[in-house]
Amino acid sequence: MQVSGNMHCQIQNTNKMDSEAASSSSFFTREQILQMLSELPAAGFMKPAVPPSPVLPPFKKLGVLVDADDIIDAKEATGNSSNNNNYINSTQSYLCAECRRTLPTAHLLDLHITEQHDFYFAASVERGDKPMFACYLEECGTKFHTPRQRKDHCITTHKFPANYRFDQDHGKTKPKGSGKKSDASMEVDEVPAARKTVPYIKAFCFGHHTMRTFNTRKERQSGDTLEDVQDMKDAIDDILD
Amino acid sequence: MDSQTTIRNEDSMLRLKIRSYAKEQRQIFRTNATDALRFGLGQIKSEISELENLSAKDVCGLAARIKRRKHATSEDMYRLSHAFLQGNENINTFSGIPGAIQVLVKELSGPNMQRQIDAAECFCNLSLGDGHVSEKITALAGSYLVTYLDGKEERLKRSCLWTLANMLATCEKAAKTLLQMQIVPKLWKLYTAPTDDLNRFQDDAGICLYLIATHAACTVSAVDRRYIVEHLHEKLPTDPGSDYYMYIIYQLNIVCSEEDLSVQQAESLVNFFVGNLKTDWDSSAGGSMRIYYGVRVMANLLAKGDPKLLGCLAEPENFVNALNRLFALQDSNLRYDLMRLLKNFLSLNIVDSNLLLEQLKVYA
Repeated sequence: MQVSGNMHCQIQNTNKMDSEAASSSSFFTREQILQMLSELPAAGFMKPAVPPSPVLPPFKKLGVLVDADDIIDAKEATGNSSNNNNYINSTQSYLCAECRRTLPTAHLLDLHITEQHDFYFAASVERGDKPMFACYLEECGTKFHTPRQRKDHCITTHKFPANYRFDQDHGKTKPKGSGKKSDASMEVDEVPAARKTVPYIKAFCFGHHTMRTFNTRKERQSGDTLEDVQDMKDAIDDILD
Repeated sequence: MDSQTTIRNEDSMLRLKIRSYAKEQRQIFRTNATDALRFGLGQIKSEISELENLSAKDVCGLAARIKRRKHATSEDMYRLSHAFLQGNENINTFSGIPGAIQVLVKELSGPNMQRQIDAAECFCNLSLGDGHVSEKITALAGSYLVTYLDGKEERLKRSCLWTLANMLATCEKAAKTLLQMQIVPKLWKLYTAPTDDLNRFQDDAGICLYLIATHAACTVSAVDRRYIVEHLHEKLPTDPGSDYYMYIIYQLNIVCSEEDLSVQQAESLVNFFVGNLKTDWDSSAGGSMRIYYGVRVMANLLAKGDPKLLGCLAEPENFVNALNRLFALQDSNLRYDLMRLLKNFLSLNIVDSNLLLEQLKVYA
């Protein structure tokens, strides 16, 4: 009621203005406006038009012109000192204080620090009660139990490349032969860890290849064995005496 | 004697520092100035006649060179950039060479910042090509271009935005893939970032969102729409790129029956609209976009049927003033939308319709 009362007062004030304005230009009357309103569709939402109307000026695709001086400057800068480039990288990207890895966004650095250097995170992953690996896209917010699940999600849902450079596992190679092992394989005795770790070192030479010849060296191994037997005989004789 | 030499050494040290600082500043200014130099496809030939003409054969040679070596050098990428600007034939030749784009992707995602920038600028010019080229770039480098939107390096970020804009304008399939990479929330963040020296991407981000709203509005997900709804209030009418705001809101159907708006979110829309009316809008495309689409957004807000969402427009005096100002433009296209707005307002039954109509000045 208050609203309509206020409106009434305003109408009285504006009636004078209306009459003045009507002399200069013509306005639609209340009935005409009502007529126009009745011709419109029922009150409701206006749907976006495809293509949009009114038509807007088309977007003009533009490239970028690089200044040759910039290229020369950049070359000089990298040529003079590699420290300069390292400095630019560290100031313009996100750097892990622990392992010095640079990452382009704060979210990726956050994921890196959590997944690579946080023991609490590692313990939580081991416990496995809740998903811990967050998606590479900050806005996605989905979490996964394993990095593999996350990778699959990023490839299928977000169309990331399989070799996404900022993947936390990127660059870690699988141990040789791990893929070949199957559940059906026969159980064998475990090779001692010490023997496993000893690498196979190929014989090398300094320009003089070994020739196939008769071995003229005296076999030390057999001699040692004989000496050992002799020692043993002497020891037995001593005991018997 | 010793004290004099130490003072001299300190002086020279200081001078060296000042000199290196000045050099650094010059470099920054030059970089910023270079960013403004933009050309359309083939335009460079007519504008700068002194440039060397690079043919498809040269492009093949450059592609073979970057594939052969461990890294694509800045000079190689600079020459490729120029070649792409010169014509579509060069772009098609490069995109047809197997493994050539992958070398640029490697540099874009590599550890060297300068080469990342050079590769991004290369991609920007490559994106001037046809739809199939945009599709290829999106599939191979799209994830990195989107990731760098959250980065720190200004020039890299800007080049990524320009590349994305070119691709969004060219190919719907590329736009769809980019939307799957969550480009909308990232762009909205840049679009609504507070204006300071470090954040000058509002205009470019606004253009990208405008292109999405024009070419790929139907593929924008409900999650993306919800994100925009939650961050509606972060944009002000005085911010750069605000010409696109109402267009984006309307074309992406942000104000609809399915999306719930809080009073604060609705008020921010109303304040934006009223703020546009208070400023003197011009007849440019940007000015008319604010008005046309602002009226439609307001009509949809009224269609939600909740008077609490109207903010200051709930006052009949304010509403009538706003309408009279817009009817005074005597634009026949706008009049239809204004009538829809009026009809939605009257359907709320918060005022006596006869009294309201008496006050309206609709030019015949």
